[in-house]
Amino acid sequence: MSSMTDLFTPAPPAQAANAFRVLVVDDDPDMAALLARLLQKEGMAVETVHDGDAALVHAMSSAPDLILLDVMLPGLSGFEVCERLKGDEATALIPIVLVTALEDTQSRVRGIEAGCDDFLSKPIKSEELIARVKTLRRLHETRRELEARRLAAEYQRKETIRKAFLRYVSPRLAERIIAGLGEEEGPFQSHAQRIDVVALFADLRGFTRLTESVDVDKVVGMLNEYFAVTTEAAYRQEGTIFSISGDCLLVGFNVPFPQPDAAVRAWHAAKDMIASFAPVLANWTGRGGVSTGMGIGIASGEAIIGNIGSPHHMSYTIIGDAVNTAARLMQMARAGELLVSGPVYEEIRGLVPSGSTSSRGNIALRGKSEATAVYSIELAS
Amino acid sequence: MNNNSFHVVVDKALEDLIPVFMRNRHKEVETLKAALAAADFEQLRQLGHRMKGVGNSYGFEQVSVFGRQVEEGARSGDRASLAACIAQYGEYLAKVQIAYQ
Repeated sequence: MSSMTDLFTPAPPAQAANAFRVLVVDDDPDMAALLARLLQKEGMAVETVHDGDAALVHAMSSAPDLILLDVMLPGLSGFEVCERLKGDEATALIPIVLVTALEDTQSRVRGIEAGCDDFLSKPIKSEELIARVKTLRRLHETRRELEARRLAAEYQRKETIRKAFLRYVSPRLAERIIAGLGEEEGPFQSHAQRIDVVALFADLRGFTRLTESVDVDKVVGMLNEYFAVTTEAAYRQEGTIFSISGDCLLVGFNVPFPQPDAAVRAWHAAKDMIASFAPVLANWTGRGGVSTGMGIGIASGEAIIGNIGSPHHMSYTIIGDAVNTAARLMQMARAGELLVSGPVYEEIRGLVPSGSTSSRGNIALRGKSEATAVYSIELAS
Repeated sequence: MNNNSFHVVVDKALEDLIPVFMRNRHKEVETLKAALAAADFEQLRQLGHRMKGVGNSYGFEQVSVFGRQVEEGARSGDRASLAACIAQYGEYLAKVQIAYQ
């Protein structure tokens, strides 16, 4: 109303920091000042605006804790402001009290339809104003507290899963898993699954014997150097580390996520492991005449995946024929040699440099009734 | 309107707001007179509605009473009763005594 906007506006008093913040929207400066004063008396911080558009902008930019909203406003009406704020996810939870005349039933019905949380009657009775605002404040604070608790619980759940993931997969892949995580428990499910996998086993030839001739305190450092480069190589291909035991490393592909190129990833990981380990090995040899090398076996087939252990110690585990075969191939491999089963070789043969491969023929592996086609690939330079 | 109508008790917390409130009410009388002269009944109705809301909120019950009369007079287009009411409003503002507690 133009006749009201040229009225004098009382100066606002100082506001308390970190107080409950109320936005008062009224085009009558006397009414806005009165509401502000009564709320400030209760220790609340109050901002006032005098039209619907300013109310919308202010509410969206500063997200007050509560809005006292007059119905008749220049520009957008109180109903329109209420509807828009309640329709926006970012402001929907801000309680809105519509200020209407007591007898104005039509406005109250319209206000309910617009989504307002409560009404305040004009003329204003300070006791009623404070009682309504305090009730909404309690509700709002409880809701906010519950939301904060829910977010903290959600964060905790994701952190737990992330820490569990980091035992098996690269930090990058773990973050990708967390980002895509909904309410479900994630890819490392508690129930077992039967999946086609590609298993890669790697270990150091003669390392057990070697530990007998190296100082005890050096052995752990050497193993850490070795696993640092080999696990990084596995992570670069998004492999899952299933076990590190002694000097032996077991990596799975096509698990927990499908990897249609699992065999190719395993091949690249094997090459990368040998290449990344070469400078470490050269250093060992240079320092103490240590002579060793890495042997690797890769096989594919069905395996059972699941969390196995006791309630006190669970481990994400892979069991099956592919794992046994890869283990046997690794044991047979010489230093710098990669042995792969026939099906794996078929998948990677186009990538293997000519002249570095030879067939070992069909080999009867211990514990297997049928002979397995085995191919040897020289990886060490 | 009786003699008691001219004595108003206002919440002490609102004391510093009252000078501006009173200035706005005096200004309101002039606006009402201008709206009546222009036969702008919609503006008169809106002004009456606002007076009704703000008057008693500050403790000035009589301002709300005038507001209701202005709103009703504007609805019915009764210029004579509106003129009388606006004149009484001006008189009231000139005489009103305010105490704070």
